Amino acid sequence: MRDELQRRLLDALGPDAVKTAPEDLIAYAGDAYAQGSLPDAVVLPSSTQEVCRTVRIAADCGAPVVPRGAGTGLCGGAVPARGGVVLSFARMNRILELDVANRRARVQPGLINLELSERTTGAGLFYAPDPSSQKVSTLGGNIGTNAGGPHCLSYGTTVNHVLALEVVNGDGEVFTTGLDRPGYDLTGVLVGSEGTLGIVTSAWVRLLRLPESVRVWLAAFPDVEAASEAVSAVLAAGIVPTALEIMDALITRAVEAAFHAGYPTDAGAVLLVEHAGARDDMDACEAQIARIAREHGAISWRAARSEEERAALWAGRKGAAGATGRIAPNYYIQDVCVPRSTLPQALHAVGEAAREHGLAVGNVFHAGDGNLHPLLMYDRRERKQVEAVVAAGNAILEAAVALGGTISGEHGIGSEKRETLPLVYSADDLAAMARVRDVFDPARRFNPDKIFPASAGCAEAR
Amino acid sequence: MSDATESFEPADVEALRTIVARCAREGKPIAIAGGGTLRGIGRRAAARVIVSTRALTGIVAYEPGDLTMGALSGTTLAQIRATLATHGQFLPLDAPFPERATLGGTVAAAWPSPRRHRYGAVRDLVIGIHVVLAGGTDVKAGGMVVKNVTGYDVGKLHIGAHGTLGILWRINVKTVPLPSRARAILAPLPEGTGARAVGYLHALSVEPHAAWWITGFEREIEEREGEEGLLAVRFEGSEATIERATRDLRMLLGKAGVPSARILDAEADALLQRIVNASVTPLGERSVTYRLGGLPSHAVETMRSFRSCARDHALRADCIVDLCNGDVIVRACDLDAVAFAAKAERFDDAVHALAPNAVVIACENAIRDDLAVWGTDAGPAELFRRVKDAYDPDHLLNPGVFVGGI
Repeated sequence: MRDELQRRLLDALGPDAVKTAPEDLIAYAGDAYAQGSLPDAVVLPSSTQEVCRTVRIAADCGAPVVPRGAGTGLCGGAVPARGGVVLSFARMNRILELDVANRRARVQPGLINLELSERTTGAGLFYAPDPSSQKVSTLGGNIGTNAGGPHCLSYGTTVNHVLALEVVNGDGEVFTTGLDRPGYDLTGVLVGSEGTLGIVTSAWVRLLRLPESVRVWLAAFPDVEAASEAVSAVLAAGIVPTALEIMDALITRAVEAAFHAGYPTDAGAVLLVEHAGARDDMDACEAQIARIAREHGAISWRAARSEEERAALWAGRKGAAGATGRIAPNYYIQDVCVPRSTLPQALHAVGEAAREHGLAVGNVFHAGDGNLHPLLMYDRRERKQVEAVVAAGNAILEAAVALGGTISGEHGIGSEKRETLPLVYSADDLAAMARVRDVFDPARRFNPDKIFPASAGCAEAR
Repeated sequence: MSDATESFEPADVEALRTIVARCAREGKPIAIAGGGTLRGIGRRAAARVIVSTRALTGIVAYEPGDLTMGALSGTTLAQIRATLATHGQFLPLDAPFPERATLGGTVAAAWPSPRRHRYGAVRDLVIGIHVVLAGGTDVKAGGMVVKNVTGYDVGKLHIGAHGTLGILWRINVKTVPLPSRARAILAPLPEGTGARAVGYLHALSVEPHAAWWITGFEREIEEREGEEGLLAVRFEGSEATIERATRDLRMLLGKAGVPSARILDAEADALLQRIVNASVTPLGERSVTYRLGGLPSHAVETMRSFRSCARDHALRADCIVDLCNGDVIVRACDLDAVAFAAKAERFDDAVHALAPNAVVIACENAIRDDLAVWGTDAGPAELFRRVKDAYDPDHLLNPGVFVGGI
């Protein structure tokens, strides 16, 4: 199968677009979470037509097809489980149309997230979803995972910003979805399907008008509980800032050592608040949030005075995970979402899970969304520590579900969490979900062995 | 045609499951009813059993600090509004006749709210659903959290499915803090000013929360129109922002040659509701109302071509153009039901030649059954059919109601 697959792909698309040498393939076998199996071939298509031809050849040869953006995913979603063809969208990275009047753009899947905002800012627009990986991650990957980021609190996640899709199905044919004609919301179910339902080859995305005014503040608290309560109080007061981010002491110190962003290193937690909106309201808003922070025990309050200071504070937040390299050789980042009001209990459970398994843990999280990202510190070379990380991670998932939350807020299920999906969904729920797979990809050609548990009587196992 | 002989109002999910399972065993199709406020949308279900969600009422989960709420599907939007308001919050779904409209019906129809460019559409506000599928199985999708990528977002399929994939019995949504103030500014448009006034709106430094160009709805909206109708703009926010927006708008209106504008503060919400109600209000049996989803930059041109199309058919056209979202609502009418029925089919063809995605949202004349109520743009029809077959293989839920006869 492998030889024929490679030969046919090379014949159809040429050596420039098809990689088959093992030293090339190895770069496509992993993501930011895991190493998977070596693909049999990597295709770098330049057009939708080339995607169609690739999918048809793969179908003829019985090979799986796995779409891939920048490989920054955190759940093994873009990692081939059974070889086959990896479709890398590095060369389909253009903005095809920019419609300023209607605030939308048609983009190719390989376009880097940040580039879209950078290239529309001149028109007074921006693309709202901004995962921490936005300097490298692609819109295709963001669509596959329904990526979030720190600004979901007021802007929502990727699915709220995708208007229409062009998709290649398992037979190598193109179909389009859109919100402006009657019919089922296929766009909504394709976003976040982790490449298991079809291959997105272009998308219309929504752009937003740049806010008139943006401010960023940093408050220091004695502990994360106090910071969390301040977050709830801000929301209860009827203010929905664009971001409410908390970092605990361990993360704050690591970030400050790495970025020198001006984070207080003596605090138990820092709260980063960003608010955007009409310029008339900013002073009143700042006064109100500062007052709430003080009432909840804030020990310091700082406003970013310039664009540079704002960027520095955000650089610290977005680089938080990487900064922990100073603490331990490796970290495992968890991703759970709980109802906001249960944040203190969820944080307590995270601390307990880490303690029980003898691990250091840092917390950096989207407090406004109830979306936690505990970073469990470990050394990959120590088998016992790896086992402890897995066990603590699962304990955190169980705790989140017990609090009425879910096992992934924004990273996805991929291969990482497929076996824990039944914590959230019953067999009936999962069977209903699997029917979607049957509608789009009955042959299970796209990204097999993802999302659905191998054990369940649905999906691949059927 | 519907000739219902049995009707049910289950009060809990067990009762609902029992009815649906029994109908599945007996092969009886079910028509699903909510508050009946959007009856003008879609075809009538070919079913002799009616299941109403009327008794499935109540807010079952509400933690104001979480900005989330869960309610049973038969809860009316007015009930939800009253409860959330006591905590300074609201659910920004502006659907017609909220005292009768149910949350389930609003979600099943994915009603296009005029404030969705600011607050999100139904699909953006729903975070979880519980639904009884055709065999009687109760399943959930999503939950009570605002970010969730735990498997496929199956809930999206049910939003806007018009009950053809399952019966929604509980829905979880995001809530939003009420704005501190809202203001509507109403400007009757003299001859030759409409397009200019509308064209200036994008120059406002404060983005409106809603803006409409309305013609021919004086009776429903209870506002005097000029020769070219009425411009209605809604702002929300602090007093300072609203005052600045008002000054800006008055200045632009002056430049466009619009002499006067009226301010509504206390009545701003009532006006919004009257406009939304008007969009589905027929003129007895002598009218048909279409909704055309489109792009804001094309909306005025679309409205013009529809007016001229109606004129060509000797019909009067009343219009509401949602300038922020690009929707165009056109209500075409004649002097009486008979005259209207004689022209409706040809007009329907002409409408769909202009806009294949035009959907009928209100029509009480029997001629409705002969109109292309879902438009003529079939979209990925084969995929739609496969979705329907996957969830309701025997076509027992609201059969025939939706696009393509599914």
